[in-house]
Amino acid sequence: MLQHVTYRLLLSIPVLFGVLLLGFMLLQLVPGDPARVLAGPMAPPDVVEAIRQDMGLDQPVIVQFFLYLGRVLQGDLGRSMISNIPVIEELARTIGPTVELMFACLVWSVPLGLLLGTIAAVYQGRFLDQAVMAFSVAGVSMPIFFIALLLMMYFGFYWQLLPFVGRGGPLWTIEGLRHIALPALSLGLIFIGPVARMTRTAVLDTLRADHVRTARAKGLKERVVVLRHALRNALIPVLTLIGLQAGYLLGGAVVTETIFSWPGVGRLAVGAILASDFPLAQGTILVLALGFILINLIVDLLYAALDPRVKTG
Amino acid sequence: MAAVVAEALPRRRSVLRRMLRGRGTAVAFAILATIVVAALLAPWIAPYEPFAVAGRPFLPPFWAEGSDPRFWLGTDGQGRDILTRVLHGTRLTLLMGLVSVAIGGSIGMALGLLSAFFRAADPYLMRLVDVLLSFPAILLGLAVAAVFGPGVTAIIVALSVATIPDVARVTRGAAVVVMGQDYMESGRAVGLPNHTLILRYLALNCISTVFVFLTLRFGQVILIGAALSFLGLGARPPTAELGMMAAQGRDFLFLAPHIATIPSLAIFVIVLCANIVGDALRDVLDPRLRS
Repeated sequence: MLQHVTYRLLLSIPVLFGVLLLGFMLLQLVPGDPARVLAGPMAPPDVVEAIRQDMGLDQPVIVQFFLYLGRVLQGDLGRSMISNIPVIEELARTIGPTVELMFACLVWSVPLGLLLGTIAAVYQGRFLDQAVMAFSVAGVSMPIFFIALLLMMYFGFYWQLLPFVGRGGPLWTIEGLRHIALPALSLGLIFIGPVARMTRTAVLDTLRADHVRTARAKGLKERVVVLRHALRNALIPVLTLIGLQAGYLLGGAVVTETIFSWPGVGRLAVGAILASDFPLAQGTILVLALGFILINLIVDLLYAALDPRVKTG
Repeated sequence: MAAVVAEALPRRRSVLRRMLRGRGTAVAFAILATIVVAALLAPWIAPYEPFAVAGRPFLPPFWAEGSDPRFWLGTDGQGRDILTRVLHGTRLTLLMGLVSVAIGGSIGMALGLLSAFFRAADPYLMRLVDVLLSFPAILLGLAVAAVFGPGVTAIIVALSVATIPDVARVTRGAAVVVMGQDYMESGRAVGLPNHTLILRYLALNCISTVFVFLTLRFGQVILIGAALSFLGLGARPPTAELGMMAAQGRDFLFLAPHIATIPSLAIFVIVLCANIVGDALRDVLDPRLRS
């Protein structure tokens, strides 16, 4: 257990380092001389030189990289080249909505995926199974923007049921819920397929296990056997696999946020890259990578906590 | 040599036949093959030029009222023929996917083989793979586009790098099993050099597993590439690319929905067929990959 967690933690160090190196590279792309910009156009050369030394710009690149690391650790990610707002402030404003969207997506799609996958496993080879599997293959083959555009067109425009632009407020308000409905629905729809598929495989495996045969032999009702003995044990591999899909979810979130003008990190990242706002792009990529690392770490810890075999093995 | 080929051929043919036994798979295979051929022949069979204004803008497709028989799938916001652009766009989308899978697959396979063959290098190579695995494809796409600027090359680089770690893992898994076989030992005993052992014995025995895995990955790669293009990080206008065409159609979604939905539908059909064919191929060639 401890070994497993330590390994994962050690592994995230080179990953973080790589991401930071990338962020540093992005800042090097900023056109112009930062010292010159800071000093203003009228400043005499010796003032510019003083600022350059002060900022460490006369140091070798490797030293500059460590200076950059120091600044990042203090939360200083520079300023957006377009709005001139500190990058950290822009990020602070967008992280909440992104987490909100992820939550609103997972809260309905994971239980539904689990349900569909379990049904498919119980009725293996029969019509229900085939229907669920067909739905799941179609789901993993759909481009996320196709789903989002269709939902937007029908629910938003033709039937006028739900708003499809921006965020309406916190999740616990009616307006907030109405605004998040379509983005969360789009993102969830691409997530059900993989979850259902993984659940089916995992439940099928446990249904063949000895303890399930024992449970049946004891005369337990089939419903109890499936829910308490098969699904419960199947949840552990499913959890890890959901963790592995975090990247898939992240990609979907970036597209969903852009389409529905959801004020999240993904939309901010795409906007910054398209506008060549390098400091902001650097900040968003750092945050997205950090989020991904964190999710995986949490899933690993949960996995180890849920499955006693990981502790000993 | 001739005898080996003659023996290998019937087996291959039967793989295809076994794979196509399911009716759904046969249909998917036929559709995919038609799409690939149509995309390859795009410059010759497309009715118009992909960048040329061919008619009135916003003409609806043939099933809608007010359509023009000269434009089966209608025209886009600039009056360009959508059928023509879908054909050309499919060509570019398929090409991007294929090139990325080929590059990423080759590098990943090389890493996996070396990792299984040279046990001393194994821990280092696999740690590298673990690190690569920590970058989701979409993040790679964003990062590459941020550094080099949006473009087809940026997408291909991102998709290739994203393909490497999974392929390396799958290859290593297969190669470790092959390394335990007697013929590897025999090859070494008769003094074959390492490169012969790796290329002739190890690689050839792993290639079907890798091929199946890449087929399964192809659909995902296309989807991620289309998403990146949709975000504006891929092909630049006026190039025809399915994801980008969908993004352009988004501006007219309520006025002329077909401009966005037809290219999206094309992507869906391609990926769906690729997934069905990939699944069938795996069931026949390599059922172990199932998990």
